[in-house]
Amino acid sequence: MNDFSELEKELRKLRPAQPSPVLFERVGEALKESRASASGASSKRRPFTQSSYSNWWSLGFGLATAAVLILFAAVTMERRREHQQTVAQSSAVPETRPAPLVTERSTSRGSFVPAGGTNLVYNARDEGLHFADGSERPVRRVRYNTQQTWRWRNPETGASLRVSYPSEEVVLIPVSGQ
Amino acid sequence: MEPIASHENWRNCFSEVAPGLLLFARQWVQSAADAEDIVQDAFIKFWRRNHDIDNRGLLYAAVRSLALDFIRRDARRARREATALAEAEAAIEPHFELEDDTQSTLALAVESLPCDQREVIVLKIWNDLTFNEIADALGISQNTAASRYRYALTNLKKTLQPQ
Repeated sequence: MNDFSELEKELRKLRPAQPSPVLFERVGEALKESRASASGASSKRRPFTQSSYSNWWSLGFGLATAAVLILFAAVTMERRREHQQTVAQSSAVPETRPAPLVTERSTSRGSFVPAGGTNLVYNARDEGLHFADGSERPVRRVRYNTQQTWRWRNPETGASLRVSYPSEEVVLIPVSGQ
Repeated sequence: MEPIASHENWRNCFSEVAPGLLLFARQWVQSAADAEDIVQDAFIKFWRRNHDIDNRGLLYAAVRSLALDFIRRDARRARREATALAEAEAAIEPHFELEDDTQSTLALAVESLPCDQREVIVLKIWNDLTFNEIADALGISQNTAASRYRYALTNLKKTLQPQ
């Protein structure tokens, strides 16, 4: 590099052309504009943030309202179903059975007490007259398809237990001849 | 050179680097006005990001990138301009403030260098960049920057030797 030191010195003596004074003004203006636009953007961002907060609040309220409505609808549907079951039972089923004592006893051991039961008849078919077991008197055979539901409740904890199963009953009704 | 981004006053900083930046931009753009546009854009981008001294090469890389974009965008105009400038050399704004014939000869010798050597010379001599910073600015290795610098000086010496 020592070979070039003189040449480098000569090169450094050359002074590059100076920029025009207008360039300084232009750069100053551009920097001012960029600063203004940056602050403008941040000031514009603020109302957006506020509106986003309000959006979050409204979203929260909306979700809470929806949850309450869903709960309300579920409770209403449950009550309606129970009501329908009661109506169907009273109209189509000749008798309503209470929960079996065996079950009652077994559940009472677990602190559960019977809370009710339903027997929903969803199909009843009249199978006509029959003579059962060599009987001289005919009987009318009616077949019921039902859905039986038994419910227990623990009064201490509020927990409930529900058992539901389909069943079929055949009822023989004696026919009296006149 | 002090860390340019640490200057509170951009004007001090810009007056320090602007002549070298303009000279660097004019390696690709003949018109001084176009070179000023490029330097303005690059400096504003650099100043906004507030790069520190370690990233000074980025400022020159930005100038180079904008200049190359300008050439690509305005190739037709650049060709027309180059032809016009070749025909009327007197109209070309000088790259240097020349004081005598010796300096004019030296300036001509610099301008006749191959582009890749000339840009390294411009960054090293008139912008005080290290070879590491030159490597960053041009996207080359430090060794390549150093060897181009050496080739450039060798070529200049050959050109300036009395016949």
